[in-house]
Amino acid sequence: MRNLYHNKIAQWVVYVAFFAALAIIPVTVSDSFLLNQLSTYGVYGMLALSISLCWGFGGILNLGQGIAFGLGAYGMAMTMQMQSQTESNPIPPFMLNNSLDHLPMLWQPFQSTAFGLILAVAVPTLFCAVFGGIMFRARVSGPFFAIMTLAMLSAFYTIILDRQAYTGGVNGLTPPSAFQFAGVEIDPYSPTAYWVVFGFLMGATLVAKLITQSSFGLVAQAIREDSERVRFLGYSVAGYETVIYTISGLIAAIAGCCWVMLVQYVSPAQLDVGFSLSMVIWAAIGGRHSLLGSILGAFIIQGAQSYLGDTFLATWLLILGGFFIVVVRFLPNGLASLVETGLGLFERRNPTSSPAPDGGRHMPAE
Amino acid sequence: MDLGSLLNALILGVSIASIWLIAALGLTIIYGTAGVINMAHGELIMLGAYSSYMLQFYLGLPYLLCLPASFVIVGLVLERCLIRYLYNRPLDTLLATYGVSLVLMQGVRLLFGSDPKYLAVPEIFQSNVMLGSVSISVFRVVVLLVTTLLVLALWLLFYKTRFGVQVRAVMQNKEMAASFGINSGRIYMMTFALGAGLAGVAGALFGVLAIVLPTMGASYVVQAFLMVVVGGGSLAGSVVASGATGELQSVFAFFTNDTLARFIIFVLIVVFLRFRPQGLFAQAGARR
Repeated sequence: MRNLYHNKIAQWVVYVAFFAALAIIPVTVSDSFLLNQLSTYGVYGMLALSISLCWGFGGILNLGQGIAFGLGAYGMAMTMQMQSQTESNPIPPFMLNNSLDHLPMLWQPFQSTAFGLILAVAVPTLFCAVFGGIMFRARVSGPFFAIMTLAMLSAFYTIILDRQAYTGGVNGLTPPSAFQFAGVEIDPYSPTAYWVVFGFLMGATLVAKLITQSSFGLVAQAIREDSERVRFLGYSVAGYETVIYTISGLIAAIAGCCWVMLVQYVSPAQLDVGFSLSMVIWAAIGGRHSLLGSILGAFIIQGAQSYLGDTFLATWLLILGGFFIVVVRFLPNGLASLVETGLGLFERRNPTSSPAPDGGRHMPAE
Repeated sequence: MDLGSLLNALILGVSIASIWLIAALGLTIIYGTAGVINMAHGELIMLGAYSSYMLQFYLGLPYLLCLPASFVIVGLVLERCLIRYLYNRPLDTLLATYGVSLVLMQGVRLLFGSDPKYLAVPEIFQSNVMLGSVSISVFRVVVLLVTTLLVLALWLLFYKTRFGVQVRAVMQNKEMAASFGINSGRIYMMTFALGAGLAGVAGALFGVLAIVLPTMGASYVVQAFLMVVVGGGSLAGSVVASGATGELQSVFAFFTNDTLARFIIFVLIVVFLRFRPQGLFAQAGARR
């Protein structure tokens, strides 16, 4: 084995250790507000993971992941809002303020929690499938696709802002009580909420890891390297791209649901261009070719933001921007590639390892 | 639904189109030549607005004259320090320039604060002119004139000068051009500087039409990129794309409202790209 970094068994060991370490955090942390904050990191991790899958492995730079995240979050918030409405009081207060006298069609399915949850995940996923299908079939790719997602994001942002009576406008939605599922209320500050979120993160990571190791994942990575050649080999490039983009959107939609469960709030800020771009920054800095690297990138950047952001609020973005430039310029594969290089150096000193003709440098990381 | 207000909407459409175009011109040139996605373009526009604010505030100079020159220098510095290492990596240029835009936006916020600044319109431009029953502010006419002049000047530059021939040669085939003795690195550098200079002009004009804020650039850059995508990365494409979408937006806004009009336009663009992904006038040999 030439580089431990590419050893599949070693990778799985690291994954198990990582999630085992995450799972015991609620046992050691008793501060419920800190626990809630750590849970939101799980959501950020899911988003970074979805970007890594789409961009790092599929080669599709998606600057509009906030669409899937935001639609999922709005679906969840609508479900939670309707849970607080009763027979005698069926209309959320903000609608009354906007002088609506009946529940809009758009909201009616969310009266059922199960149906609302399904919609919260299915609508963004379906959107990704349709939008991705149209774009990739037209062979819009690379930077042009990135720009289209960005424009789509701002289109959603403005429309949610504009339709105040249906979406709460700039104030967004603030469901008054915690999410109830099967008669149980999930307190967002409880270890239960933490485990739910990290369960989803672990599940998503597992699925993503298996996808990247499957033959589907190999074709997706081949498309990233040279889509023309894959097309000449007879693969439906658009089909593969659509599927990987849709799976990535599905993960982001689940992240959106988890996020609202944790913070009981959603607003157009979740569809802000800056937020979607910061997801890309997490993945880029952590290492987009590495699923775990991206998740850690989200943890590190968001952790630094909440730590430094309080003390150096004004300069934080300056630091982040500068760091981002340096990483893109000198370390295109992110911090994870440092680990790869480090392990490679270690192996080279070890004379028993077999010589590798190309050093495996250009192999996908995982 | 009287004819006068529809005419008004159409004339407003020309004005919107000229603004989109002027934001898109620099982007088009940089993308069309070097394949660089300059996400910092919006922030260069923002810087243009701020520097004209400063010029006006401290010196009272005719800003349209000094701005382009200073932005050519900004472009040169940016290109030499960062962009030139990222040619042939279009996605990375997008990311790196987004980093630049974060730094610029936050830097300006630190220097000037987040409160809006206002650019005074020169007195001669403050009035309105009547065109039939429609009243148009003179400054919008000035914007339109400047846009027309810029397009004309760029057309002359690219199609009637030696530099233009070299740019087009590099655009078609970089290696071939290099073997004929054209320094493609220098061409890239100069087009980037030119694009940045155009952003400076745009900033000076937008500063008058809108409020000057550190975050103002972000709203322009997405819209401008759409024009580049629809246009196919060519100069003529961007002109037609801006014109058509500006008019359509204005007409839709006349029947619905501004936000819905933007949304409809966007859906139309997606549908358009489904059938013509290469854009209106894709250049032969232009990358990707």
